[in-house]
Amino acid sequence: MKTASNAMTDSLKSQYFDLDDVGDAQEFYHSRGWTDGFPIVPPTPEAVQACLDWVNMPANELIGIEPVRERSIEAEKLAINAVMAGCLPAHFPVVVSAWMAMLKDEFLLHGATASTGGCAILVILNGSIRQEIGTRSDFNVLGSSDRATSVIGRAIRLALINILQVSPGAIDRSTLGHPGKISYCIAEDEEGSGWPSLAESRDIPKEASAVTVFAAGAPRQIMNEWTRKPEEILDTYAAEMRANLRNYSIWSGNYVVIMPPQHREHMRVAGWKRKEIANYLFEKARIKRSEWSTVGKGSVVRDKGDTEYCALSSPEHLLLVAAGGPAGGFGAVIPPWLGAKSQAVTVAIGACIDCEPSIPN
Amino acid sequence: MMIRVLNPTSESVVATLNPAPRLTGLKGKTVGLISNGKEGTDGFFSHIERLLRERYQVAEVVLRIKSNYSAPAEGEIIEEARSWDLAISGLGD
Repeated sequence: MKTASNAMTDSLKSQYFDLDDVGDAQEFYHSRGWTDGFPIVPPTPEAVQACLDWVNMPANELIGIEPVRERSIEAEKLAINAVMAGCLPAHFPVVVSAWMAMLKDEFLLHGATASTGGCAILVILNGSIRQEIGTRSDFNVLGSSDRATSVIGRAIRLALINILQVSPGAIDRSTLGHPGKISYCIAEDEEGSGWPSLAESRDIPKEASAVTVFAAGAPRQIMNEWTRKPEEILDTYAAEMRANLRNYSIWSGNYVVIMPPQHREHMRVAGWKRKEIANYLFEKARIKRSEWSTVGKGSVVRDKGDTEYCALSSPEHLLLVAAGGPAGGFGAVIPPWLGAKSQAVTVAIGACIDCEPSIPN
Repeated sequence: MMIRVLNPTSESVVATLNPAPRLTGLKGKTVGLISNGKEGTDGFFSHIERLLRERYQVAEVVLRIKSNYSAPAEGEIIEEARSWDLAISGLGD
């Protein structure tokens, strides 16, 4: 094996290694703790440069700085990890934008990746980039629905492991974690929803593609195929949100609700859109602190038993996502890791966050 | 065929901080406790305080609680810590 201080192109500065073959590369990366346990695509200078070229960024472009440990994230390192995850150059803009969002103070990236709570970073895609990179929003949407979302989600995790040392037992102190920590990325079924997209509901222009990141627990699946009434369907989702308030954390925050076509059709017929759904869940997803005593947490109810706690501190905190296969009354609630102390962040893909705002005429 | 591959880690050398001068004893000192505010911290830090006062005769114990247990301590706590002889930070749950 040969090593040197920089790669063979002029712009790439990473240390490089000359290895015998692809099999050798697998063991080389695994043995150094640089993978998630699955095989990686060897990050050659050519593949890494292709990702950088796609986003028109120099290798040393500063994507951002992790605010707590003050570690800089440069485009070259993100690209290396994206290639390892299996990303094509066309996937890389999503990875870059997701990281820009994750590095916002309100996301609390260090806490989200270090906490014993073991959340994953859920990435939700909106806009035309979904079709450009071949995402799917229907069958098995929370599993291996398509190549693009699988490798983008994995790229987020590999970059955390390698750039920020978020390995289990190092920075990552999760008690359990969950399978979303391998890859956790979905695209919204905008064409099938009849609603404005999630990104639009969060003030991103309709024409822009966008990414939303959310420090999220595992999906809790619900099922209700026995009613067409919006209220009754949403009562099932609200019950799962209340269960999370009791069983996991009582603090309000963003909640993702994944709603499949079967439920959405009943909403459409009744004239219920984002606003009606969010208002209903805002009202229904509440518990009294005294309910903690029903799940073994009576010792911390104290004199606040009558205090009411909302899952959503306002209807706008709901992240309603249209997704799922065409048949089945199965939806999901994806709860927040730490209530409102870590907030979902939405950014437009390809937007210049450091540019001066345009001056109105 | 040989392949050339790149290092995915940060590679950056992080400057190490020099530890504060070690104390030779605790008697008469001011000790600050920085709690993350979780449920278990009450018992943990009250026990630590008792030990510090009874066994080590510290002069004063100051307890400060972070507002977010998964974020760093607020700037004012860090600033106040400059006046302490010793700081103890712990999870307590």
